[in-house]
Amino acid sequence: MSEAASALDGASFEGLVRVADAGLRGMVTLRGDLGADALHAAVKQVSGCDMPGQRKITAAGDSAVAWMAPDEALLLCPHGQADATCAALARALDGVHHLAVNVSDARATFALEGDDGALREVLAKLAPADLSAEAFGPGDFRRTRLAQVPGAFWMPRQGAARVICFRSVAQYMFDLLTTAAAKGSGVGYFQA
Amino acid sequence: MRRYSAFAIAREALRYHAGWEKAWASPEPRRKYDVVIVGAGGHGLATAFYLGRNFGITNVAVIEKGWLGGGNTGRNTTIIRSNYLQDPSAAIYEKSRSLYETMSQDLNYNVMYSPRGVMMLAQTQAEVRGYLRTAQANTLQGVTTRFIDPPEVKKLVPIINLDGPRYPVLGALWQDRAGTARHDAVAWGYARACSDMGMDIIQQCEVTAVRREGGRVVGVDTSRGAIDCDKLGIVVAGNSGVMAERAGFRLPIDSVALQALVSEPIKPCMDVVVMANTVHGYMSQSDKGEMVIGGGADGYNNYTQRGSFHHIEETVRALVETFPMVSRLKMLRQWGGIVDMTGDRSPILSKTPVEGVFINCGWGTGGFKATPGSGWAMAELMAKGHSPLAEAYTLDRFREGRFIDESVAAGVAH
Amino acid sequence: MLILHCPYCGVMADETELHGGGEAHLTRHGPGSSDEEFHDYLFAKENPRGVHFERWRHVNGCGKWFHAARDTATLEVFGTYSAQTTEPPQAIRDAITARRPGWTWRHLAGSAK
Ligand SMILES: Cc1cc2nc3c(=O)[nH]c(=O)nc-3n(C[C@H](O)[C@H](O)[C@H](O)COP(=O)(O)OP(=O)(O)OC[C@H]3O[C@@H](n4cnc5c(N)ncnc54)[C@H](O)[C@@H]3O)c2cc1C
Ligand SMILES: [Zn+2]
Repeated sequence: MSEAASALDGASFEGLVRVADAGLRGMVTLRGDLGADALHAAVKQVSGCDMPGQRKITAAGDSAVAWMAPDEALLLCPHGQADATCAALARALDGVHHLAVNVSDARATFALEGDDGALREVLAKLAPADLSAEAFGPGDFRRTRLAQVPGAFWMPRQGAARVICFRSVAQYMFDLLTTAAAKGSGVGYFQA
Repeated sequence: MRRYSAFAIAREALRYHAGWEKAWASPEPRRKYDVVIVGAGGHGLATAFYLGRNFGITNVAVIEKGWLGGGNTGRNTTIIRSNYLQDPSAAIYEKSRSLYETMSQDLNYNVMYSPRGVMMLAQTQAEVRGYLRTAQANTLQGVTTRFIDPPEVKKLVPIINLDGPRYPVLGALWQDRAGTARHDAVAWGYARACSDMGMDIIQQCEVTAVRREGGRVVGVDTSRGAIDCDKLGIVVAGNSGVMAERAGFRLPIDSVALQALVSEPIKPCMDVVVMANTVHGYMSQSDKGEMVIGGGADGYNNYTQRGSFHHIEETVRALVETFPMVSRLKMLRQWGGIVDMTGDRSPILSKTPVEGVFINCGWGTGGFKATPGSGWAMAELMAKGHSPLAEAYTLDRFREGRFIDESVAAGVAH
Repeated sequence: MLILHCPYCGVMADETELHGGGEAHLTRHGPGSSDEEFHDYLFAKENPRGVHFERWRHVNGCGKWFHAARDTATLEVFGTYSAQTTEPPQAIRDAITARRPGWTWRHLAGSAK
C-alpha cells in the first residue's frame, strides 16, 4: 500500500513566526445534535474530551474536539486512528441519529509558532476575525475565511496556532501564511 | 440656442468667454404637460429628445430628484458595444451604437464618442465556444464582430499578460466600432437639445406619487407641487421598484450597488477597452490617462451608492493577473451606482398596468451604451403605443416565459 | 461592508464570510398553484428602499442559513434570527418599529408610533 503523506510533506518557513506543514492528522466529522447527552457521552468515551461549547475546542492527550456548528463537531486524533475513531463512534451511537466520517485526507493542517502578537497579526492579515487577546485565545475555535478560501484555526497555547483547510488548497494556504509572515512585514498591531 | 463651433470658441476667446449661454434653462414647473418623464438620466433625457425630434411632442417635462446625469449616467464606465447574443438585443444595442456615431453632430455637443474597439477576453474553453457562437450570431444580425487569436490580442494590447497562471488568454471577441463616450456629455448634450426645443428640465424635484383616475394616469405629485400629465414615462434605473410601487404595480427588479474605480493618470498605454469576464474585471484608459476599472456588484439588495469595499480588492486582484502593471498603480477614486437587475439581464421597455404610464428600466449594469437607442424606442412607444425595437421587452415577457437571456453575453457588469 | 450576527455560531460575521440568499419568507408556489401565484412567486419581488427581510448563509463559518432584517438604504441592521420560522419574531419587529415607526413589508407592518 502507498504511504500516506501530508499535503506539503513537512514544508516550513521562518519569518515573523514559524509556519510549517503540521503533518498528517486524523480528522473525523461528527454530525448530530451536539446538545444531546448521547453525543456528549460518545465523544467523551471515544476521545477523552468533553463536548466543546459554541466556538470552542477541547483537548485531552493527543485528541481534540472542535465545535464546527450546532450540529457538527470535528474530532482530531492521530492519523492512523481515524478509522477506529469512526467505528468507535458508530458503536457508541448505535441507534442515535448521527453521521461520523473520516475526513483526514481531505484536509491539510499548518502549525504557527512564535511571538503571540506576531502570530495573531499573521492570522488577522488573512481572516475577517477579531484576533485580539480579549476576543480569541487558547480554547477558542474559529471557522472563517483566509483570503479566498475557507479555513479554521485555534491556539493550542499562547504563542502557537493551528490552521486547517482543504487539502486541495494547501499550497495556496501555505503561500498566504508565509506571505503574511514575511520578514519585515510586521505591523505590530497586537504588540503590547 | 447659439451653436457650438470652432468659430464660437475663437469668438469667445476674444471676449473673455463672457458670451456663452447657459446650456439649458431651469424653469419653475408648470401646472400641466402632455408628457412627464421621471428621471433626467441619459435614458430619460434621450426619451424626451426623440419625442420632440421624431414625433414633434415638445410639451414635455423631465423631472429629476437630484441633478441631471447624477444617477448611473454619471457613474458608469462608458463602454459602448453591441455584441450581444439575442436578436432583440442586437437590434436595440446596434441601433444605439450607430446613433452614437453621429451624436456629437446631431446634438451639436461633443460627446467624445471614441470607437476605439472593445475586446472581450476568452480565458476558458467555455468562453472560447461562447464567443465563437456570439461572433456567428452577430454576423447574422449585421453586427460586425470577430473572434481573434492571442497574437492579435497581444498586438492590440501590448500590456496584456497572455499566459496568466490560472486563466491564460485563449482569444477574444473583438468589435472594432465599439468604444467609449463621455457619459456626462451625453446627458448634457441631450439636456441642451431638449431645453432648446422648449422642454422643461426640472432638477431638485422628486416625484413622490403617481395620481390615477379610473386606472389611468392624470398626473404626479412632486416635492415642488402637483403636475398634471396625459402620459408618464418612468426612467429611474435603480429606483424603478420604488417608483413602480408609487404607481401601483410591481417589477421583477432587484436593485444592487455596482462599483467602479479609477487609477492615477498615467501615460497612454492601452487604446482599446478590454473586458475579462471570467476573472471579472475590465479596464480602459480615459483621455486624462486614468485607468477606468469596472468592479463588482453587491450580492444583496441595496440603495447605498457606494458598494462593499471587498469588491475593490477582488477586482484589482483579478486585473493584476491579466495586466501585471496594474499592481504598481495607485487608485484615486471609487464610487457606486444603484443598478436595476432583471432575471434575464435584459431591459424592460413597456406599457404598464396603469394606462398612460410607461416604464423603461432593467438596463442594470450595462445601459449606458443603450442610451440613444433606448430613448429612441421609448419615445416611439410613448408616442405611438408600440415600437419595433421595444416589442420584445414588455413586462409580460416574464409571465409568458419569453426571456431574452443575456446573462452570458453580458458577462461582467458593464 | 455589512456585518451580521450569526445566530448559530454567535460571531459578528463580516460580509465576506456570508452569502446573501435573497428575499425571506417566500411561499414557494409550485404545481397546483394559480398562474398568478406562480408569477408573483417568481417575479413580483420585494425590492424596498428601506426595511427588508432576507436570507443569509454563513458560508465561511458554521455553514448555517439564517434570517436578517435590515434597511437597504442605510445598511442599518435591525437584527438576525433563526432560519426555522416563516415570519420575523416579535422582538425583531419591535426593534424595527423602534427605529422605523410605521414600517411596512408585504403584509407585515409596525405600529404607527
Ligand atoms: C459603476 C457602473 C458602471 C457601469 N458601466 C457601464 C458601462 O461601461 N457601459 C454601459 O453601457 N453601462 C454601464 N453601466 C450602466 C449604466 O450606467 C446605466 O444602465 C445607465 O446609465 C442608466 O441610465 P438611466 O438614465 O436609465 O438611469 P440614471 O442615470 O440612474 O437616471 C435615473 C435618474 O432618475 C432619478 N430619479 C430616481 N427616482 C426619482 C424620483 N422619484 N423622482 C425624480 N427623479 C428620480 C435619479 O436621480 C437619476 O438621476 C454602469 C453602471 C454603473 C453603476
Ligand atoms: Zn455562523
